[in-house]
Amino acid sequence: MTVAAIVSQRAAWRDTLAWRVVLSVVWSLVVTGILILMAGKNPFVAYQHIVLGAFGSWPRVVVGLNKAAPYMLAGVGVALCFRGNVANMGAEGQIAMGGLAASVAALIGANALGAAVLPAALIAGVLGGAAWAAIAAAINLARGVHEVLVTLMMNFIAWLIVAEFLHGPMGEIDAGFPQTPMFENVAWLPKLVARTDLHIGIVIAILAAVVAHVVLWRTVTGFRWRLAGASDKAAHYAGVSRARSVFGLMLVSGVLSGMAGAIEVLGVHYRLIEGFSLGFGFNAIAIALLATLKPLWVIPAALFFAFLETGALSMQRQIGIPSSLVLVIQGLSLIFVLCAIGRGARRI
Amino acid sequence: MAALLEMRGISKSYGSVQANAGIDLTVTAGSIVGLLGENGSGKSTLMKILFGMVRPDQGAIVFNDAELPLGSPREALRAGIGMIHQHFTLVNAMTVADNVMLALGDSRFWLDREGVAARIMRLSQSYGLGLDPDSVIENLPLGMRQRVEIVKALMREAHLLVLDEPTSILSPPEIEGLIGVMRRLKADGRAIIFITHKLGEVLSVCDEVVVLRDGKVSGQTPVAGATREGLAHMMVGRTLAEAPQRAARPPGPERLVAHGISASDAFGLRRLQDASFSLRGGEILALAGIDGNGQAELCDTLAGLTSAFIGTVTLDGKDMTAWPSNARLEAGLAYIPADRGGTSLVQGMSIADNLALRDVARAPFSRYGWLDPAGARKLVDARTKEFGVRMAASDAAISTLSGGNQQKVVLAREIGREPGVLIAFQPTWGLDPGATRFVIDTILALRDRGGAILYISSELDEVLAIGDRVGVIAQGRIVGITNRADVDVVRLGLLMAGSAQDHGPDHSSGAAAA
Repeated sequence: MTVAAIVSQRAAWRDTLAWRVVLSVVWSLVVTGILILMAGKNPFVAYQHIVLGAFGSWPRVVVGLNKAAPYMLAGVGVALCFRGNVANMGAEGQIAMGGLAASVAALIGANALGAAVLPAALIAGVLGGAAWAAIAAAINLARGVHEVLVTLMMNFIAWLIVAEFLHGPMGEIDAGFPQTPMFENVAWLPKLVARTDLHIGIVIAILAAVVAHVVLWRTVTGFRWRLAGASDKAAHYAGVSRARSVFGLMLVSGVLSGMAGAIEVLGVHYRLIEGFSLGFGFNAIAIALLATLKPLWVIPAALFFAFLETGALSMQRQIGIPSSLVLVIQGLSLIFVLCAIGRGARRI
Repeated sequence: MAALLEMRGISKSYGSVQANAGIDLTVTAGSIVGLLGENGSGKSTLMKILFGMVRPDQGAIVFNDAELPLGSPREALRAGIGMIHQHFTLVNAMTVADNVMLALGDSRFWLDREGVAARIMRLSQSYGLGLDPDSVIENLPLGMRQRVEIVKALMREAHLLVLDEPTSILSPPEIEGLIGVMRRLKADGRAIIFITHKLGEVLSVCDEVVVLRDGKVSGQTPVAGATREGLAHMMVGRTLAEAPQRAARPPGPERLVAHGISASDAFGLRRLQDASFSLRGGEILALAGIDGNGQAELCDTLAGLTSAFIGTVTLDGKDMTAWPSNARLEAGLAYIPADRGGTSLVQGMSIADNLALRDVARAPFSRYGWLDPAGARKLVDARTKEFGVRMAASDAAISTLSGGNQQKVVLAREIGREPGVLIAFQPTWGLDPGATRFVIDTILALRDRGGAILYISSELDEVLAIGDRVGVIAQGRIVGITNRADVDVVRLGLLMAGSAQDHGPDHSSGAAAA
């Protein structure tokens, strides 16, 4: 291959969206490094501890993968919604309601259902998230309240409902913390690798991302979602009803987020704890944007967010740099990506 | 007479496209120069260079015996060049005087409203503009708004006015009025560059014509002695047949009947009043009308895109008033909307996806809900070939195509489906003569195959050229429908301006049915 060919190939790669996303992440690390330096610490040591904390041992990797699963599920739902021009801010509440519904099913059904309690709890989680999303979609469509307002406000209501259950009928007596009693073993999510904490959530999540990709690009439904996202007027002209696409997309987001809440309670905590998924839904929005709304790219984006968080917790323990540093990295990488996409859009 | 403006050797290229290649343009004071050319011939680039919005690669501009600094709109304004764009830059909620004051950009703290109003009155009287400084813009018809733009330029001491397709939004009487204003400006020693597609207007008002093609001056001639055919030949480099070919054809069965339709726009404003017509196979009913007189509401009602209407619509004898747009489409109703940029095409999607836009749920675009890329590809290739879409590949974004080729994609989708009834709303809007001709020929061919066509346009000439029956839509009413042979052009022009009495809905179809 000639030098010119290599250079032109590299130039083509430099124009791709993937390269811009990678570059954005690198820049966010550089800027955060400068902040660490200003705080009087060595950024290379800090990053070394983040990497060690995330990947240093098998149990550390497992924690990261388990953390990534709900991010991925909810992130795929948000990415689909945003593509269809539905500004769904409600993953947070849909996860909470999914977790609550799954817990209710796991606690009540343990005796009656036997081994069927696990699928029942998963289905309950999915239905809980979907119902919560459907309410938001109905308010948006019937009364014309903007979807950002409805979905955002319903997050707080969801959390208060979860708290109400934990402080009231479902709370464990004398636990000293708002949580339910532990679920029976049959209701636990199966492990992916025996004798570790790694549950099958990550497989479900990756499968969901792949299915979402196929639906988006290979089906008539996906075409209509993309059309609804590209142009309101053209979608209307093509006979794609806004009501149907909003309702469908919100339901998909509710199903995926509800599943995320269910696997979190059934796979990690084995009980419902107040604040068990605090911030997951908002992270999902950031992950969807970092993935430039591509369902498949949500997989690496969610892994990046999850491992960054597990690594940072370990860094805080080891060298005393606050783990909230990851919020800086996450925020900066998102801003850089949004800027890079903006520039790319103008170029076309 | 001395030259007021001299543009010398103007060249500008965008990448590999040479928009202007060594253009010379001279305008003397007290003259009107017509600037003709198809879309993409370099007219707008040349005018942007003149106005300082684009910096040329080469060339110089001399205005009023002084070299004009290039690439500075501020300098162009100060030198006395006024540009009247197709789209007005007026604040609708403010008065005429307020808008003029905004344009003057007077930086003193206290406003001199009385002084400005007095100057507007003086200009209005001396050029016969008929403007009241205190009237609010949104209450003025488009023709008057255009005159506000002219006053803005005159108040800034413009010696040279550039009018960019000023007649495209005007009714025939308003066009007459504008031409009168242009003549008075010329008599006062001001110069005008008049950009237009319409050859008749050029011949009636200009002193000289400059024709651009492919970024070069392809012809330059005094108007005295020029002919339509000669100008058209200079524009497109080939002679267009004068009138589209059409064979007389007995009307077929009644296809589309609208009865007593009244419709409102998105703001609940009544736009269409008791409109009725009937349409037979193998005929074109062409309605002329100035934009915003209910055409959009009529089209949306017929296509099933709005529920804000009363009245009934039948297709082939079946009442389809309650049908959604998809059911109407499957029953053979095709619709070409006016807005190519955002409604009939999605700029961010590929050519193939745009062809699938309204048919994606059917074979060969999909089977059982799954997209069928191979089947779609075959159809896309066949249709783009049949309609002569010039493109690199069908998966390229539609935005890479020229306006004419984009409209061919719309035709390939809507007419390629071989519809029984076609609603065509301004299908030639913004197209150059060659592409316009293609659209009209394609629609005429559909008529000859027995299709029923409702053709709506703001161009009276076009409506007269294409319609088997011709009528007017004005102030939400369909009036004056007559058979092609009995058309009275003057009366149609007056009806378009809304100045004649309502003659009730659709006389000729009643006669035809009888």
